[in-house]
Amino acid sequence: MNTISIDFQPFVEWDNSPFILFSNRGKILYLNNAAEILFGYVSKQELYDIALAYAPQSFGYKTTMLTLNYDAFNFYAITVGYENEEHLSVRFYHTPRVKSSVPLETGKLMTTDINILLEANIALFKTKNNNKLQLLTDQDIPSFRIDQNNFSKLLRKSLDAFRASDSINVNLKLLVGEHVIISGKKESIVQLSIEANGRYNDTDTEIRNLADQSHISVLLKEHAIKLEIPLIQ
Amino acid sequence: MEHFFTKSEQIQHIIKGFNLTKTLFVSSIIIGEANIGKKSLARYLFPHAHMISGENQKEVEAALEAYDELIITDFEKLNNQETLNFDNKRIIATANFIGNYTTIDTLFAFIYTMPSLKERPEDARYIKESFAKKARHDLLLEEKDLDISEIPMDLSSNSKSLKKSIYTHLMIHSMDKQNIEEAVYYYILKHIGGKNAYKEHLELYEKPLIEAGLQKYGSQLQLSQVLGINRNTLRKKIHEHDID
Repeated sequence: MNTISIDFQPFVEWDNSPFILFSNRGKILYLNNAAEILFGYVSKQELYDIALAYAPQSFGYKTTMLTLNYDAFNFYAITVGYENEEHLSVRFYHTPRVKSSVPLETGKLMTTDINILLEANIALFKTKNNNKLQLLTDQDIPSFRIDQNNFSKLLRKSLDAFRASDSINVNLKLLVGEHVIISGKKESIVQLSIEANGRYNDTDTEIRNLADQSHISVLLKEHAIKLEIPLIQ
Repeated sequence: MEHFFTKSEQIQHIIKGFNLTKTLFVSSIIIGEANIGKKSLARYLFPHAHMISGENQKEVEAALEAYDELIITDFEKLNNQETLNFDNKRIIATANFIGNYTTIDTLFAFIYTMPSLKERPEDARYIKESFAKKARHDLLLEEKDLDISEIPMDLSSNSKSLKKSIYTHLMIHSMDKQNIEEAVYYYILKHIGGKNAYKEHLELYEKPLIEAGLQKYGSQLQLSQVLGINRNTLRKKIHEHDID
């Protein structure tokens, strides 16, 4: 094997997975672009502690499968490198965006104005709750095809998670420039975000299943639920 | 029915929800006590939909095959709820209670709870008035025979008990002497027997007589004079009939 003299640092720099090099005192010696973004959501100390906890016992590299969630970042494994006494490196592996295993039943999809379904679900929510609810929506979102019944259930459950929350903000907007490929076609995405001071998480599994059936990716946070809905045409 | 009266905010939200989803293929259910207007509401919102009762499972299955838009009443009476398929159909169901929540939760996108008449005093008043109007018409009574405020608001079984109490009240208040004699006649015809019938049925006359008298004259002394009987006799009878 020929020895190639090449600088690998740019590869790490532009790697989509966060990579951080710590000193033995927890000081950051190097971090790539992805790690920089990650630090917007988690503290240096926390990641250093994780690196220490999963470091190999003697020099070397050790990969551990674990689940880490920081806002929109989901990781399923980390590799901690421990080459000498001075350096400790850690690399995070993104959980792949799960492709819905459910085939899209195009027969069930009906062209729908999402604003109508959203308003109807808010009306339903208001028959049961008196919480303050604010809706900010884009009336110009084009109609798209969706399983109306299944999607309504998803909306009902998502709103119900906020049944005891104080002031709820519902926001519907088109994610400009973002797309998802479904059945070989590139589709735009709208994001529905429901946020409040807190929420119940008793139906998170059901919300995930319902979302999965409609090829909607869902982000379940402590204070918010965000649905990314493909505008299937 | 072309009109559905309600002042209840909760029901107005239900109507709003239905109006928005009227053209969509979603399944909805209205749950609430018996006789509070669930069926009327469904009929008002979907005047042309086929309506079927959940009492007959086979008919419901056949109707689901035949129609895209369907009102299923008494949904709680269906035994095979979990086998139903509502895909791409507009289903409006009504039920007196939920039964199995998981099944309802899986089947229906919109689960509305309709408040009972006790929780909707303004609606109850309106319904009472319209029942009274109809009752007056049915019983051929004059307007002057009717003071709605005197009729007790019996909402123990929602509109059913309310309707019954109105008819009973109006009938009792519009009876003349002959009607009362006839009513007593048929009552006695049905119940007479045994060895002490005279004393047993005397109550029919004595009890209302004393009760009404006491109400009108207040004191036993005065009443005994009006009735022309001894004060002690009156007291004895009051005790006998357990009158307060």
